[in-house]
Amino acid sequence: MPTITIFKQDLEGLLAAPGEAPLPITMEQLEESLMLVKGELKGQSPDTGELRIELQDSNRPDLWCCEGIARQIRVKRQGSLAGYDFLTTKSKSPKQLNVAPGMEKVRPYVAACAATGYRVTQEGLAQLIQTQEKLAEMFGRKRKTVSIGLYRLAAIEFPVAYDLVKPDAVTFTPLGMDTVMTLGEMLLVHPKGLEFGGILAGHDHLPVLRDAKSQALSFPPIINSREAGEVRVGDDALFVEVTGTDLAMVVLTLNIFAANLADRGAVIEPIEVRYPYKTVLGMAIMTPQDLGKSRKLPVSTIEQALGQALGAQEVVKALTDYGYEATAKGKYVTVTPPFYRQDLMHAMDVVEDVAISRGYGDFLPVMPSQFTVGGLSRVEEVSDRARALMVGMGFQEIISNILGSPRDLRDAMRLEGTEWGQLVEVDNVMSQNFSALRQWMLPSLLRVEAASNRAFYPHRLFEAGEVARPDSTQPLGSHTVTVLGGMIAHADAHFSEAHSCLDTLFYYVNQAYSLEPIQHPSFLAGRVGSIVSEGKQVGVIGELHPEVLERWQIAVPAVAFEIDLTELAERS
Amino acid sequence: MDISSLIDSLHPLEVKVLSTFGANHSAILQTEQLIQSTKLEPSQLSMAVEWLLAKSLLAVESETVTPIVSLTKIGELYFEKYSPIERVLSAARDAAKTGKRLTIQDIQSREGLEPSDVSGAIGRLKKEGALLIIQGGCIESTGRPSQTAETMRGLLQQLHGAPRGLQAFPEAQRQVIQDHSVKRGNAREPFRIDDRVARALKLSVTGAEAAQQLARQRTAEEVSQLTPELLKDGSWRTKRFRKYTISLRAPRIAPGKRHPYREFLDTVKTKLVSMGFQEMRGPLVETEFWNMDALFMPQFHPARDIHDVYFVKEPTHASSIAEPFLSQVAQAHQTGGATGSTGWNYPFDTERARRLVLRSQGTAVSAHTLAAQPAVPGKYFSIARCFRYDQVDATHATDFFQVEGIVLGEDINFRTLLGLLNLFAREVAQAKEVKFLPAYFPFTEPSVELHVRHPKLGWMELGGAGLFRPEVTLPLGVTVPVIAWGLGLDRMAMVALGIHDIRELFTDNLDLIRSTRGAF
Repeated sequence: MPTITIFKQDLEGLLAAPGEAPLPITMEQLEESLMLVKGELKGQSPDTGELRIELQDSNRPDLWCCEGIARQIRVKRQGSLAGYDFLTTKSKSPKQLNVAPGMEKVRPYVAACAATGYRVTQEGLAQLIQTQEKLAEMFGRKRKTVSIGLYRLAAIEFPVAYDLVKPDAVTFTPLGMDTVMTLGEMLLVHPKGLEFGGILAGHDHLPVLRDAKSQALSFPPIINSREAGEVRVGDDALFVEVTGTDLAMVVLTLNIFAANLADRGAVIEPIEVRYPYKTVLGMAIMTPQDLGKSRKLPVSTIEQALGQALGAQEVVKALTDYGYEATAKGKYVTVTPPFYRQDLMHAMDVVEDVAISRGYGDFLPVMPSQFTVGGLSRVEEVSDRARALMVGMGFQEIISNILGSPRDLRDAMRLEGTEWGQLVEVDNVMSQNFSALRQWMLPSLLRVEAASNRAFYPHRLFEAGEVARPDSTQPLGSHTVTVLGGMIAHADAHFSEAHSCLDTLFYYVNQAYSLEPIQHPSFLAGRVGSIVSEGKQVGVIGELHPEVLERWQIAVPAVAFEIDLTELAERS
Repeated sequence: MDISSLIDSLHPLEVKVLSTFGANHSAILQTEQLIQSTKLEPSQLSMAVEWLLAKSLLAVESETVTPIVSLTKIGELYFEKYSPIERVLSAARDAAKTGKRLTIQDIQSREGLEPSDVSGAIGRLKKEGALLIIQGGCIESTGRPSQTAETMRGLLQQLHGAPRGLQAFPEAQRQVIQDHSVKRGNAREPFRIDDRVARALKLSVTGAEAAQQLARQRTAEEVSQLTPELLKDGSWRTKRFRKYTISLRAPRIAPGKRHPYREFLDTVKTKLVSMGFQEMRGPLVETEFWNMDALFMPQFHPARDIHDVYFVKEPTHASSIAEPFLSQVAQAHQTGGATGSTGWNYPFDTERARRLVLRSQGTAVSAHTLAAQPAVPGKYFSIARCFRYDQVDATHATDFFQVEGIVLGEDINFRTLLGLLNLFAREVAQAKEVKFLPAYFPFTEPSVELHVRHPKLGWMELGGAGLFRPEVTLPLGVTVPVIAWGLGLDRMAMVALGIHDIRELFTDNLDLIRSTRGAF
């Protein structure tokens, strides 16, 4: 979900046709219009007209720029998409871009166009750069599948070559530096080389764009040349290229740039890309290119999904208003998305666009009428009963993070190297404090006890909640269990106090149990027992070992028990 | 005010006066009698009586005013050292015996008397014929007695230390007393006449009750605690229980109680059950398959990378994924399979599908339910703990609850989806106004964001929802439309609990947990 910065006056200019007076928009109108693009105004500074807008739809990269937002609003106001004749006019001798053999193994696809007649403004340049960055970052998966280069057209002689060269065979001065270096050096020292070099890892030949004079334009997807690849305010002829690993995404990205520049008044000149290998679009591809496929849908599919009878004409109107080409024939509509979109996977995507185009407010809410019976899971019922009993016995409920640290969950409990100390641990640790799922409840209770020596005594704490126990017999390698942990801490806390509570609990959940002496490092020897019910261990009870208390820096004795509620729930 | 609290409010002086009436409720007691039996100072008694009258516990039966004569300090001095009239007369008689001439100045200087006293005395004696003023300002005794001097002496002796009623004196003496009593403008006189108010007092009805109660209390033994023994033998009837100062702060106790956040979630849970939702549960550790693949999130989706999801260290992969779901989901991703979709058009990695992660979204639980032959029509919910690879701060927790669910049915469509969201807005957020905004989720189409006007928070996003994409439902064996919904309740919970930092939902501060009231 990218958040972009645009300027209100720029948006107002783009709402009008190129060369015409800007169309002012009030903030209320803007907020209303943002529903068309799933945008949310996150901030604004009325002085500069700066607007920060979050675009929700990660499948609509065409909307991640001022031009795209303006276009969607403009289409809705005009009732259809118009212009963009560069998609259909054909040049007899188009500029060419030639792809080198072997590129299919490195970074197979490229698309490019020229744009002339639009003099780049400050705002326009800021938008171009922002769009370039957002598309490469979020749509192009950090330049891996798509990256974009912008150049001054005047400096370039065609045909341009998309070549594969050895790392030291080509040198140029990259943007942001003032010395000539080889591609290999750029990977080693340039910040962008360090950041994105991994994309080319393992290749002994690297991609480079060069013009007919063998002037290096850029090292995709890393960095442009400072000479040809630095667009400035005032330039009125641009060359745009997109390279990547997915042809459809590469072409779509170029389409978006072509649309954006056309919206600002540029004349788009398509370029022919010639491949030495086969692609799904052939070996010579004119770009930009409309890849939109038409789809035939029953009107009833849309009506059923929306819960509203609209009729074919209304559907066609809603979609045309939203930029589609749509025609109705009988009970069917045939729709083609605009050339800057490729996000239609299913009829349901069209359904949503009908709803957005008409406005969600156009649909009257209806209550689902079918009758269902509500209820809790058995383990939740058992848990609620146990919680009520604990409250009745004077225990304060607490609630804790399930993600904790092995230090607290295992080491401070004296469980290193024991069966009880096994944990589900996190691989990509951000903080040791949150690097393992709790395998039992007592550390959660001790966490509160350790922080509360100033709270007046006695302390009676409990928590009912989930823990994860490693279990190699489970498909997931662990088992999520709901347990109840209770703890009593005060100067005279002793075993029988906890035992009485345990006894009461088992009485009221109507289960028999017995205590069997065990050895458990967390508890004092001889004052710890396994809670056994119907021949199964369902918990543990004991006086906490002084060393455990010391490690938690707790200065009063504590007794505790823990019961497996999942086990009890499965029986009843 | 009842009698007991009335008695509790009495001053000890009042108690003493009331007790004097004792058992004799109808007695009429004079102020004098009260002074004698209470042994109080007259001023104390009068204070106590005034208070009791104000509280209507006493009533005045009758009232008599008696002028009482007493000696002033001057009077006591005259008693010791004779009054000016006596001393002037005595000086004149001494002079007569010795034949000396006695001037007024002589008397003044010899006797140390005030000129006004001397002239007053001489004037009175001359009038009575006991003195003569002869030529040269000399005075001479006539030898005749002075009635005033004799009366004065008698009065000083009678009244020394013993005030008496004025009326007890004969007319002549009364005249002397009145002539020589303290008046305004003349403080140097031997006598003082005070009006003594003598009241006859009796108890009012309430006063009688109070006096009875006081009498009982005086006889009962005071105990601090009602004991089983006192109850058993009925002896509590003869005991008096020590009164407590109940305005003191109560000793603090720590009750057993639910955690306020769990209490909030319990309310949500109950609400969902009441709306016909059945609870579903799922494991904390999930496969990427159920966590994401089954939800039609392509394996290259940015939210699936190492910076968004926690991966499990050991074992790294699940032993297997149930068929036919694995194959059907793989086909949906690759080509759309039988779902009518174009699919994502990339090679689906089944190894990746088995990769174990910590559940990152509650929708994983819904995916399991879809694959487990759910009821149609059916409504399900889960309050599932989820984990995200986030820096922990005031608004991001590393594990948190997601409230999510699904609704399956033949009548499910975009409008019933909006209807369900309306219901949530009303029931969960008590909101009357809602807005539906277009939204994006990888697994739903159309997708909606539900914004509501919360009574306290104003406009807020309450949740997201949509119709599950056919690429989600069909590979899991569900052929009816399905609503997927999720509610974002953390902000509501934080407001209900009065906290501003999401980490405090899981606080380790017992004092804070104990003292948080929670919402109800």
